[in-house]
Amino acid sequence: MMKKVIFYCCLMLMAALNSVAQTRTVNGTVTDQQNNPMEGVSVGVAETGKATQTDAKGKFSIQAEPGQTLKFSYVGAKLYTVRVGTNATVNAQLDLTNSLDDVVVTGYQKERKKDLTGAVAVVNVKDIKDIPLGNPVKALQGRVPGVQITADGSPNGAASVRIRGIGTLGNNDPLYVIDGIPTKRGLQELNQNDIESIQVLKDASSATIYGSRAANGVIIVTTKRAKAGYSRIDFDASTSLQFYTSKLKTLNAEERGRAYWQAAVNDRSDPNFNQIYQYDWNNNFDNPMLNRVIIPEFIDGAKTMRSANTDWFDEISQQSILQSYNLSIANGTEKGNSLFSFSYYDSKGIIKETRGKKLTGRVNTDYTLLNGKLKIGENFSGTYMKDVLIPTADVTGLSQIVFSIVPVYTINGGWGGPAAGMADRQNPVRLIEDNKQNYNNFWRVFGNAYAELQLIPNLLLRTSYAIDYNGNYARTLRKSYTSGFLSDPSNAVNTLSNYDGNRIWQNTLSYAIKKDKHQADFLIGQEQINTIYQGFSGTRQGLALENLDYAYLDAGSTLKDNAGSGTSSALLSYFAKANYSYNDRYLLSATIRRDGSSRFGKENQFGYFPAFSAGWRLSEEKFIKETLPVFSDLKFRYGWGKNGNQEIANNATYTLYSAVYGTNAVGNYDAGTAYDISGANTGQLPSGFALIQQGNNTLRWEETAQHNVGIDFALFKNELSGSVDYFIKKTSDILINPAYLAVIGEGGSRFANGASMQNKGIEFLLSWSKQLNKDLNITLTGNASSYSNKVTKLPAEILTSYPGNGTDKNILGRPVTSIFGYVADGIFKSVEEVNNHAAQPGKDVGRIRYKDLNGDGTIDALDRDYIGNSAPNWLYGFNTSINYKNFDFSFFLQGVQGSDVTNTYKGLTDFASLAPGANFGNRTLQAFTPQNSGSTIPALTLVDRNNEGRTSTYFIESGSYLKLRNIQIGYNLQPVLKNLKVQRARIYLQASNVFTIKDKSYTATDPENPGNAYPIPLITTLGMSVSF
Amino acid sequence: MAAGSLFCASCSKVLDEQPQGVVSSEELNTPENAEKMVIAAYSALGNDYWQTPYSSMWAYGSIRSGDAYKGGDGPGDVGDFNAFETFNLNRVDLANADATWYRLYLAIGRVNDALTRMNNLTAEQFALRETRQAELRFLRGHFYFLLKILFKRVPYIDESIPKTDYEKISNTDLTDEQLWDKITADFRFAADKLPESQSDRGRSTKFAAKAYLAKALLYQAYIQDDRNNVTSISQPKLTEVLSLTDEVINSGKYSLSADFANNFLSRFENGPESVFAIQYSKDDGTPNGRSDNGHSLNYPMNVEYGCCGFHAPSQNLVNAFKTSAAGLPLFDSYNAVNTAAGDDFVTNSFDPRLDHSVAIPGHPYKYRPSFIFQVSWTRAPQVYGRFMSMKETVLPDDPAFKRFPPFMSSSKNWDIIRYADVLLFKAEALIELGRFNDAVPVINSVRTRAANSTSLLIKTDGSSTSNYRIDTYKPGINCVWTQTYAREALRFERRMEFAMEGYRFFDLVRWGIAAEYLNSYFAVEKSRASHLRDAFFKKNRDEYLPVPLNQINFSKGLYKQNTGW
Repeated sequence: MMKKVIFYCCLMLMAALNSVAQTRTVNGTVTDQQNNPMEGVSVGVAETGKATQTDAKGKFSIQAEPGQTLKFSYVGAKLYTVRVGTNATVNAQLDLTNSLDDVVVTGYQKERKKDLTGAVAVVNVKDIKDIPLGNPVKALQGRVPGVQITADGSPNGAASVRIRGIGTLGNNDPLYVIDGIPTKRGLQELNQNDIESIQVLKDASSATIYGSRAANGVIIVTTKRAKAGYSRIDFDASTSLQFYTSKLKTLNAEERGRAYWQAAVNDRSDPNFNQIYQYDWNNNFDNPMLNRVIIPEFIDGAKTMRSANTDWFDEISQQSILQSYNLSIANGTEKGNSLFSFSYYDSKGIIKETRGKKLTGRVNTDYTLLNGKLKIGENFSGTYMKDVLIPTADVTGLSQIVFSIVPVYTINGGWGGPAAGMADRQNPVRLIEDNKQNYNNFWRVFGNAYAELQLIPNLLLRTSYAIDYNGNYARTLRKSYTSGFLSDPSNAVNTLSNYDGNRIWQNTLSYAIKKDKHQADFLIGQEQINTIYQGFSGTRQGLALENLDYAYLDAGSTLKDNAGSGTSSALLSYFAKANYSYNDRYLLSATIRRDGSSRFGKENQFGYFPAFSAGWRLSEEKFIKETLPVFSDLKFRYGWGKNGNQEIANNATYTLYSAVYGTNAVGNYDAGTAYDISGANTGQLPSGFALIQQGNNTLRWEETAQHNVGIDFALFKNELSGSVDYFIKKTSDILINPAYLAVIGEGGSRFANGASMQNKGIEFLLSWSKQLNKDLNITLTGNASSYSNKVTKLPAEILTSYPGNGTDKNILGRPVTSIFGYVADGIFKSVEEVNNHAAQPGKDVGRIRYKDLNGDGTIDALDRDYIGNSAPNWLYGFNTSINYKNFDFSFFLQGVQGSDVTNTYKGLTDFASLAPGANFGNRTLQAFTPQNSGSTIPALTLVDRNNEGRTSTYFIESGSYLKLRNIQIGYNLQPVLKNLKVQRARIYLQASNVFTIKDKSYTATDPENPGNAYPIPLITTLGMSVSF
Repeated sequence: MAAGSLFCASCSKVLDEQPQGVVSSEELNTPENAEKMVIAAYSALGNDYWQTPYSSMWAYGSIRSGDAYKGGDGPGDVGDFNAFETFNLNRVDLANADATWYRLYLAIGRVNDALTRMNNLTAEQFALRETRQAELRFLRGHFYFLLKILFKRVPYIDESIPKTDYEKISNTDLTDEQLWDKITADFRFAADKLPESQSDRGRSTKFAAKAYLAKALLYQAYIQDDRNNVTSISQPKLTEVLSLTDEVINSGKYSLSADFANNFLSRFENGPESVFAIQYSKDDGTPNGRSDNGHSLNYPMNVEYGCCGFHAPSQNLVNAFKTSAAGLPLFDSYNAVNTAAGDDFVTNSFDPRLDHSVAIPGHPYKYRPSFIFQVSWTRAPQVYGRFMSMKETVLPDDPAFKRFPPFMSSSKNWDIIRYADVLLFKAEALIELGRFNDAVPVINSVRTRAANSTSLLIKTDGSSTSNYRIDTYKPGINCVWTQTYAREALRFERRMEFAMEGYRFFDLVRWGIAAEYLNSYFAVEKSRASHLRDAFFKKNRDEYLPVPLNQINFSKGLYKQNTGW
C-alpha cells in the first residue's frame, strides 16, 4: 500500500515537474495583412482559459504548453487559431480584409456590417477620442455624411443635431440609444472616453425598430466593457488653452463721436444737439468739415463716470484653461467582466467667469453563469455637472452695444453704465460679476440591469430594466445694482429644483438559425417607457446681505413667490424583426413595430411602423468576381420604412383650464386671472381660471416614410471604400400647434395633425487607406451630403405663420428655412436716381434702393419675395491621418456651402439709425457720403426714415465656410517605456477651430455663429494617454 | 407579442396618464367657480402690455393724433408704432395690430365663458347672477368698443354663439350701425341691471354703464359712410347722450377732483372723478404685481427709472397749451411759434394742464419741486425732442411704483372714464344739438377746475413752474360764442383736458376731421421732427387700422378688409 502511495506521489511529482518543465511563456506579435502591429487583440489559451491582450506594438506574452491552442480574436477580424509548438515565439497575422465582418449595433441586436441593408453610419471613435469639446456629439461635426451638427463654444453647450435635415415642424432632435436605452437627451453628459462605438441610423428601414421617436434618426452609443482576458488601466490627461478669436470690431470713443457727427450733418441737424459729444466743426452742412470731437471729462451729470475708451470685448473675455482627466480600470475573466471609469472635465470659458465642470463615473459589469447560458449585467453611469450661470448671450451682445466711452467702473468704484442718449443696456462686466456666484447643479443617473438567458441553443431571452433620471438644483442670488441710469435696488434669491425621470423596461426574444446557405435571425420584443417631470421653485426678495452663503429663502423678507408643476407620459411598444440572408449574397430584412403613446387620443394611441429592406452583394456573384475582381465588396441596398413622432405636450388631447393667478411677465403680457376687484391695491387677490388649451382627441402619430437606396463598395482589397446613399423622406400628419382665428380667444392653442414636408438628399462617403511602406500609413476620408427640403402641405389658414405674404407668396413647395423680404438694390447715388425710382417712402441719396418687384411703381409689402434659405446646400468633411513610425498626424477640415445667414450684427455695424443708442461697428466709418459715393454701406443717418431695418437682402450674407476643425500630432512613447510594463503611451498636441475661410460677403466674424451665441474658441491641447 | 403579453399583465393601464395641475371645464360650473370666472374676465382689463397697450390706448389714440411722438430709441424701436404714427408706413401685416385684435378677443372670450356659466345658473343658485351678468356685459361692451374704434368692422361674437360656429362669423355680418347697436345693447343691459353702487370698487355700476353708454352713443351719433366720411350727426342719439350724461351728473355720485393732479396720483385713485377704472395692484402674490404693464415703456431714462422713453409729447401739443392774454386757447395761432425751452414758459402764458401732462426740461417732474426733469432723461432727443409724458407715471418713491427691470410700472389705476369726460360728452351733445349756449357752463366747470389746479405746479422757492393764465369762456366779454366757436372750444378743451390719455385720435375720427387735421399737423411738424418727414394720412383709409392680414387668412377670406386698404 505504502509503495503504491509513494509511487503515485512520485508520479504526481514527476507530472508536476514535467508541467513546470513544459509550461512556458509564449511570446509573439500580432499584425494585420499589411504587417501593421495590432493593438488590443485578445489572445487566449483555449485549454486553460488564460487570456491576455496585445500591446500597442502588437506584442503579447502568455503561459501555454505545446499542443495547446491559442485563439486570437479581434473585432472585425476572422478568428485565428494556432497550435503551440515547440517554438517559444508565435506570430499571428489576422485577416482584416473584411472590416465588413465588423459587428454593428442596430437596435436590440447586432448585425455584421456586410449584412446591413439600411443607411447606417459608423463613426470612427478613435478620430474624435482626444478632442476635448465636452460633448462627444460636437466632435462628430462634419464627420458623418447627412448629419448636421451646430454648436456654439460655451463650456458646456448642447449641440443641435439634424439627421438628414429638418424633417418636421416640431422637435427635430434625434433619438439617442445608449447601451440599448433610448433617451432624447444628447450626449453632453457622457464621458467621451467611455464610448466604444457610435452608429448613426439615418434611414427609416434601420431606425424603425425604434419606432416611436425614431423619425429624426437614431444615434446609437455603446460604452466600453471589459472582455475576457482584458486587464488594463487607462489614464488620459489633457490641458488646453482656449482663445477668443472672433471679436467684432466696434468703434472706440472718438470714432463713435465721429460717426454720430457724420449722421447728424448728413441729416442737416445740429450735431451738437447731443448728450455726450460736442464738435468743433465748420457749421457748413453743404461742405461739412470736422475739426475735432470734443469728449467730455464725464459722461454723466453727477460726474461719476469719467469718459473712457473701453474695449468691451476685451473686458469680458479671457484666455482660458480647459482640463480633462480620465481613469478607467477594466478587468475581464471567463466568469465576469468589470469596467470602472471616472472622469473630470473642467472648462473655463473664454468669457470671463464662465465655467463648466463635469464629473462622471461608470461601472459596467457582467457575470456569466450556468455554463455561459445566463448572463447578468449592468451598465451604470452617474454624471454631475456644475455650470456658472452667466447670461453669455447678453454679455456678447452688450459688448457690441455699450459705448466705448462708458467706463467699466465709476470713479467711486461703482458700476459704469449707460448715460443720457444711450440705450438702456447693462454693463456686460457687471452682468458677469453680479452673476458669477450663481451656478446650476445638474445630476444624472443612467443605467440598466439586464439578464440574458439562453433557453435552447440560439434562442435568447433578454430583459432589461433601465432608469434615466436627471435633475437640476440651483440657488441663485440676484444682486441690487446701480449702473448708469439703470438701477434696481431690490435683490432676490431663487431656489429651484426639478427632475425628469424615465423608467424603461425592455424584453426581447431572439433566435438565430443557420443552415447550408441560409442564415436568418428573428427578434420579437416589448418595451415600456414611463416618464415623469416634477419641478418647483421659490423666490424671496429683501435679503440683508448679498452673498450666496447667506442667500437662502429663509433669509428673504419680502415678495415671497413660488411655482411648481408636473407632468407624465407613457409609451408602450411591441416590435418584431427578421433578417435573412442567402449565401451571403441576398439580404432581406423586415421590421414591424407597434407603438402606443399616452399623448394621443384613446382611438389613436397606437401606430404601426413597418419597414422593409433588401440588399444584394454583387461582389459575391461569380460574374463580378470574374469580370471585376477589383471589387472586394459591392452591395446595392434599398430600404423603405415608416417612423413615428409624438413630440407634443403630454396632455394635448384634453381641454384644460388653469388657475393662472399672475405670471412673471417682463416684456410680455400677463396671462393672469387675478384681479384687484376690491380696489385694495395689494394683498391676496381673488382669481379665476383661464382656458389654456383646446383638446383634440383625434390626435394621432406623425409619420415619416422614407425610401433609401445605397451602394457600398470597396476596391483594391478595401484600399478604397465608400458608399453613396440617396433618400426621399416624406413626413405627413405633422403635429402642429397652429395659430388660430383670434375670435376663438384664449386657449385656442390646439395640437393637430396638419402639415407635410419632404426631404430629398444624397450622401457620399469615400475612404482611401494605404500602407505605403513598412513605416508609413495614410488614410484619407471625405464625405459630403446635400439635401433639399420643401413644405408640401400646410393648412391654408396658417400659411402666414411661415415666411411669405400669406396670399400669393407662400411657403408651399419651398424650404421651411426660407427667408422672405425685400431685395436691396444698391444705394441711391444721385438725385436723379432717386427721382427715377418708384415711390419709396424715405428714399434719398445715400439710402438703400429696394426693388419694385411687382412693378407697380410703389415699394410696399407686395415687393417682398423669397430672398434666401438658411439651410446649406452642401455639408462636407475631409480627414487625413498619417502614421509614420511612432508618429501620428491628422487634420480634419469641415465646411458648409451655400447657406444664407441673416447677419443680425449688421444693424449695428452698418447703421447709426437702427439702434441710435448703441455703439456701432467700424464699418460705419466707411459709409456712403457724397465724397465716398462708391460705398456699399448706406449713408449714416440718425433717423431711419427709409425703414432700412426691414428684412432685406442687405442683411443676407453667405454662411459658407471651411474650417480647420482639428489638427493633431501624436507620438507613441510605448517603446521607450516598455520596461515599465506600459502597454500604451502616447503624447499629443492638437488644436481645434484653427482657422476659418469664409465668403467675402459675410461681414461679421464667424458665419457659423452669426448671432450672439457663445463664441467658438480656438483650442490648443497638450495631452497624454497611458495604459498599464 | 407573446413575450409582450407575458411581461405586461395590465398594459391597457400603462397609457392612462391624467393631466396634472389643471381643471376641466365641467368643474367650473358651480356658482363659486362661475364667480371666479367673472374675476378672470375683469382681469383681462389690464392684461395688456407695452406692445399692445389697449388699457390706455396711448399707442393708437395718442401717437396717431398729433399730440405725441412714439418716442423710444428711434423709429425702429417698436417699429409698428412708427408705422401707426406716420400712417403711410402702416401695413396690413403688422404684428402689433394683429396682436391687439387677438388680445381683445381673448378678453371677450373670458367674458363669454363666464357669461355662459352665469346664464346657466338660476337666481336661486346664485343671488348675484343678474348683477354679474350685467357686469360681464359691461366688460364686453368695453372690449368691443375698443375693437370698434380701432378696426371699425369686427366679427361680433357673444355667448349665444357656440364655439364651433366662431369661424362662420364675418366682420361684415353686421353693418356699422348694427355693430354699434350690439355694443350699446350691452351697456343698456348693464345700465338697467347694475346696482348704483357696489362694495367692490373695481366692479361696474349703473352710472358707470350709463356714462359708457353715453360715450358709445356719442361715437355712434356721427354717422359714417362706407368710406369713413362723417355724413351726418344723429340728433336722437345726441339727445340720448344728453339725458344719460344728465342722469350721471345728477346722480351725485361723481364730481371733478379738487385738483386736476389727483387724477394722476396714486394716493387719490378711485376718487370722486373716477367713473370706471382699471384696478391695478402690487405686492399681491404675483412676481411683478398685476400692474400697469401697458405704460411700462413710458418712464424716463434716468437713474431713478431707467427705461424706455416712449410717448413723447409733440411740439405741437406743447404749443397748444399757450393761452391768450384773456386766458383762452390760441385756436389759430398757437402753433406759429415754438415754446420749447427756458424762458419760453415764462414769457408766454399757459393752461396749467401743460405741467400736469408734459415733462419739460428744467421743470419739476411729477409735482416734486426738487426732482427736475432733464434733457438727459429723454431717450433720443435728436429724434423725439425733449418732452415726455407724465400722466401715466408715478414718482420713484411712490408706494405704487413697481420696477421690474428693464421696465417699470405702477399699481396706479388707469381711468377708462373720468367724470370730466362725462361733462364734455354732455357739452358736445349740446353743441351739436344746437344748444351751444347751454354748453358754456359745462365747459367752464372743467376750465375752472384746471385754473384751480396750480398749487402743485411750483418750484422749490414756491413760485409757479410756468406762467399760468387761464380763464373761463365769457361770451360777449372774452369771446363770441357761436356754434362754430363752441365746437372749436369744446374740441380744444378735450385736447387740453385729456392730452396724452389715449383717445385723441378717436375724437378726430369721430368728428370726421382726422385727414385734414393730421395732414396740416404733419405739414408743419415734419420741419421739427425729421421722423415725420414722410408722414401722410390717407383719407378714406387711415381712419381705421386695417383688418390684420393674419385674421383675413385665418378666416379663409371670410373677413373683408377695411376701405382703402
